[in-house]
Amino acid sequence: MDVQKVLSGAAAACGPSGQEMLVAEYFAEQFRPYVDEVTVDKMFNVIAHKKGAGPKVMLCAHQDEISLMVTRIEDDGSIRMGTVGGVDPRILPASRVWVHGREKLFGTIGALPPHLMSAEDRSRNYAMKELYVDVGLCAEKVRELVQIGDLITFNVPSTSLLNGQFAAKTMDDRSCVVMMLCAAEFLKKLVCDADVYFVATCQEEVGSQGATTAAFNIDPDIAIALDGDFAKQPGCSPDATMPMDAAVVSVGPYLQPKLTKRLQECAKNHGIKLNVMVAPRATWTDADAVGLARAGVPGILLSLPMKYMHTTVETIDVNTLREAARLLAHYVSELDAGWEEDLWI
Amino acid sequence: MDLKTMTEINAPAGYEQPLRRYLLEQLKAIGMEPVIDRMGNVVVVKEGTGENRKRVMVSAHMDEVGFIVTGATEEGFLKVQSLGGVDPRVIISKRVQVGDDKLPGVIGAAPIHLQSAADRKRVLGYGDVYVDIGAADKKEAEAKAPKGTPVCFDTPYVEYGEGYICAKALDDRVGCYNIFRLLAREEQFPCDLVAVFSSEEEVGCRGAKGAAFAQAPDIGIALEGTTCNDLGDVPDPLKVCVTGEGVAVSFGDNSSLVNRNLFRHTLKIAQEQGVRHQVKGSVSGGNEGGVMQRSRQGIPTIVLSVPCRYIHSPSTVCKASDVEDQFELARALLMSL
Repeated sequence: MDVQKVLSGAAAACGPSGQEMLVAEYFAEQFRPYVDEVTVDKMFNVIAHKKGAGPKVMLCAHQDEISLMVTRIEDDGSIRMGTVGGVDPRILPASRVWVHGREKLFGTIGALPPHLMSAEDRSRNYAMKELYVDVGLCAEKVRELVQIGDLITFNVPSTSLLNGQFAAKTMDDRSCVVMMLCAAEFLKKLVCDADVYFVATCQEEVGSQGATTAAFNIDPDIAIALDGDFAKQPGCSPDATMPMDAAVVSVGPYLQPKLTKRLQECAKNHGIKLNVMVAPRATWTDADAVGLARAGVPGILLSLPMKYMHTTVETIDVNTLREAARLLAHYVSELDAGWEEDLWI
Repeated sequence: MDLKTMTEINAPAGYEQPLRRYLLEQLKAIGMEPVIDRMGNVVVVKEGTGENRKRVMVSAHMDEVGFIVTGATEEGFLKVQSLGGVDPRVIISKRVQVGDDKLPGVIGAAPIHLQSAADRKRVLGYGDVYVDIGAADKKEAEAKAPKGTPVCFDTPYVEYGEGYICAKALDDRVGCYNIFRLLAREEQFPCDLVAVFSSEEEVGCRGAKGAAFAQAPDIGIALEGTTCNDLGDVPDPLKVCVTGEGVAVSFGDNSSLVNRNLFRHTLKIAQEQGVRHQVKGSVSGGNEGGVMQRSRQGIPTIVLSVPCRYIHSPSTVCKASDVEDQFELARALLMSL
């Protein structure tokens, strides 16, 4: 698999939280060669099923993206916006977007220029309410094509950097969906008894709605949630960030200790670098929702470090992604009938 | 020769080589004999037909705003300063190209999850933002992008809405594009047209100053892109010009007060020839009009600008019809001099 190509395609697909139709279509197509069955459910979760007689394992990573929403159309034709998910307003000035009205409209985000601001205002960041989308149309035309509540997504190509680093929008968390794709590809070369579900979930950024319903539907024995994590970068405390060159397993009360230990041992056995991070409470990922599906699902959380999370240049290391996928494939293939013995003792 | 190609060439102030090479090639292709002067300006003289004719310098600057690499961190992130005025608030989460090889880079920022309330308000200045090319460490970063490497925005040219254009460097590729078109026309002007594609406007109009002295024109015309704030929360008195209402004629700005007779003459010509135009509504900004006016014993100057929204940002916006109007008025003015 040409990972960068698949990542670029994933990043380009439109899929704001709640409207993941197009990105779901993209991922459904990508999973087809590696599994027995692919379905897209009512919520737009993509469920790729590789059938097996062993334990039922659900891997999940979210495909929705943070985005913006039309909140008002001004008389000069400019469009005011609100956020869907945690959008950092600092990334917005001079960013390009798509406004998904009756037609898909190109837009660029504008604000009052610095020379018209007081020194005090210049020394602070723009607030959401000061920004607007410029679609180059008069108000009458905008009102014809755009409604309050229409979604706005970012319009930015992906970028290949040195050393296998890759920057694009939506790497949180589509890079982990691509990690599942790579794992599915690896898994074809291994003997695997497990009944495996790869799920690209919807609506994680607004409360893990997709993971909740998918886990209810699949009713897995074991859950493996995959998400982005903060990588080392300027301006962040070293304690809050992890190196780019290895995936990270979380330990803490929301995660099953023995299944986690099993992942660490698996990494060691296959010579795959794995770092550890502590999650003393909620993980704020799909792991939290899946863990409480039906009667509860023991699970683990594996994270891919990325720089600049929730910007349009989220940067990952493709080698790390590939190694993490190899780890997942081995982990899943090595789950045997006795996996549950002494799980809680 | 088209505006798309022109805006997508990287030529930040002081590092205009790629655009200079492109212009030389294009000018030669239309039979011109361009020369490069001591300041790196590309100069072409198109002789006029009149007797005792005037020498009219028409300038547009080649350079755009951008960045320059000032070092690298231990972890391999590039430190940069701006070349020309770039508000650091418009550069977060943007793509750039580094150096002549156009090495891809991005400008990131700490994730919103790790920001305190104070962080959210605080502007990240040039000491806080870095260009990330994916370098493994300082050594690799310095090898790929040594100190002094120029950096440009990487934003493709897009046409959108009702005749709008969104691109980097519209200030002042619109002017360069129009000067080229003045030269490319077969028609001859009564005056001598001294066309100057100038260097280093964004860092103090250095190119035009040298050219104005060397060419010693009788009249100076600057073709510019100027700030326009016709959308959003701008009080009406501060809307100095409006996109789609034609070329903006300045009565003055922070660098010069235009020659009153030439200003009146320009408006008269615009009216007579039916060229859509507007008088720029305030004294703001500065441009090559200033250095031309002060050259030698003084030169009457006029500034004709295309209104540009979000000027000096990676996504500048102008209206195609205003670019045409700038061309038409410059042409009509040259015919009248």
